Amino acid sequence: MDEQLRSVADRPERIAPAAAAAHRGAADAGTPEPQAAAAGRSAPPALAAGRSAPGRLDQDAGATVGQVTVEDPVFSCRNVNVHYGPKHALRDVSLDVGRRQVLAMIGPSGCGKSTFLRCLNRMNDTIPGARVTGQILLEGRDIHDPARDVAMLRARVGMVFQKPNPFPKSIYDNVAFGPRLHGLTRSRADLDELVCTSLQRAGLWDEVKDRLHHVGTGLSGGQQQRLCIARTIAVKPDVILMDEPCSALDPIATAHIEDLIDELKESFAIAIVTHSMQQAARVSQRTAYFHLGSLVEVGDTDRIFTNPRHRLTEDYITGRFG
Amino acid sequence: MREGHISKAFDGELAGLHIRVLEMGGLVLDQVREAAHAYGDWDAHAAQRVAEREGTVGGYAAAVYDLQLALIARRNPVASDLRAIVGLGRAAYELDRAGADARRIARTVLAPGGRPGRSTASDARHLADLALTLLRSCLEALDVLDGEAAAQIIERDHDLDAEYAAGLRRLLSRAMENPANLDVTVEAAFALKSLERIGDHACNVARQVAFMATGPGAACAAPAGRERGESGERKPGEAGAGK
Repeated sequence: MDEQLRSVADRPERIAPAAAAAHRGAADAGTPEPQAAAAGRSAPPALAAGRSAPGRLDQDAGATVGQVTVEDPVFSCRNVNVHYGPKHALRDVSLDVGRRQVLAMIGPSGCGKSTFLRCLNRMNDTIPGARVTGQILLEGRDIHDPARDVAMLRARVGMVFQKPNPFPKSIYDNVAFGPRLHGLTRSRADLDELVCTSLQRAGLWDEVKDRLHHVGTGLSGGQQQRLCIARTIAVKPDVILMDEPCSALDPIATAHIEDLIDELKESFAIAIVTHSMQQAARVSQRTAYFHLGSLVEVGDTDRIFTNPRHRLTEDYITGRFG
Repeated sequence: MREGHISKAFDGELAGLHIRVLEMGGLVLDQVREAAHAYGDWDAHAAQRVAEREGTVGGYAAAVYDLQLALIARRNPVASDLRAIVGLGRAAYELDRAGADARRIARTVLAPGGRPGRSTASDARHLADLALTLLRSCLEALDVLDGEAAAQIIERDHDLDAEYAAGLRRLLSRAMENPANLDVTVEAAFALKSLERIGDHACNVARQVAFMATGPGAACAAPAGRERGESGERKPGEAGAGK
């Protein structure tokens, strides 16, 4: 068959010109097989550059492509800017977070996705020199309203961090800490039930039910992260923020967390920052792409990963830069 | 902005898949041309060559599917890369089917039957010219992923369908006048149908070019020739409506 393949290639008038020329060039170099030939040169421009019909990919980096709003959002953010001292880290970002769905935020390092995430529960307040402007509404109320209790805000908008950070307390006390602090239960029995339910929802109950008095830091990495999630959901938040929750975990633990995210989205709005585009594609319903502090494109995850509209989004998710 | 992926190996693998499909297209173009010549001039040697090379066409298709699977498994392609890999696989399928239609035409010449009359042979040559033009055009569009050219090719299939319908009507008229040659008529009808199907496959390749170039939506319309049931065979005499 190889001989017949070569005989076809030797009659370039029957093959489209560009590919034939490439194949002849490779053949001259002594590599007649198409794959070997292609390995020694760049891909045909159309495929390599992801070329598409003119005008299909929006080129204006200033405007966000796609639908930033959703119906009945939990969070509604408009014209959010963040400065860390003189550095303008987030530029005029407008984006809604929808109920009972997962919003994934992707982009290269330093693009502003974690900065935006931290705006949602005012974690940027803890950073010296950080300045946040714009409007961020949680259930219609401005989170920067001076009358607002920031501690309560952070109970309603829980956060799971990249590195699991259970308290140096027992598994039980890790989960019970928030409800006790906020007075969410009236009796020990209520608290026991809340701890049990939270651990069950986090997929950890069966693994720890016989050792609730053991210290939380003694669990494996994946178990610690699920404990942190149980701790977060014990205070009955409206939104769960996740900042690269699986980057410190092995693939099996990651799969457990992703499965958990899929279940949790039935009850909570979830916003997740991730460096893994495959993870974003697996767990989210909406995906937002950030670049150099700007929100470039947002849309349904299926569409973003099959047919993004912005060149920057296309180049990032296909690995042409990043 | 750099051209190509950060991973040059991925560039090479994609290029390899693309070139493989284009080479397959070149071979299928040869097959169709030679089969049409064999039928029009009743050349058994040419028909034999077409029959012998059918395995090569199938080999190309199998290689493309293997490459496609490997790329998807190893590279987690998305967006334009995913569309390219899926689209090239579908294009290879259509080219494989076009090669099979060329083989069917060649087998008509090799089978113990009768040579068609001059009028039928002339109709067959005309249909073959139209089908070859469509096939060449779609391969050129596939080479550079020209979505606009692909859209124009899809429109031109209507001409081929109309010519096929007219040729079939003429064939059936002649058969009614001379029912003794019914077996020759049936074989001739199959040959004309195969040429029409080659045009459909060329248009389906063009649909994949549009899909690769512009995204889902371009290929959402029912593929040519498969809008009815699993076999997709339209009744004789039906024009190419409902595509």
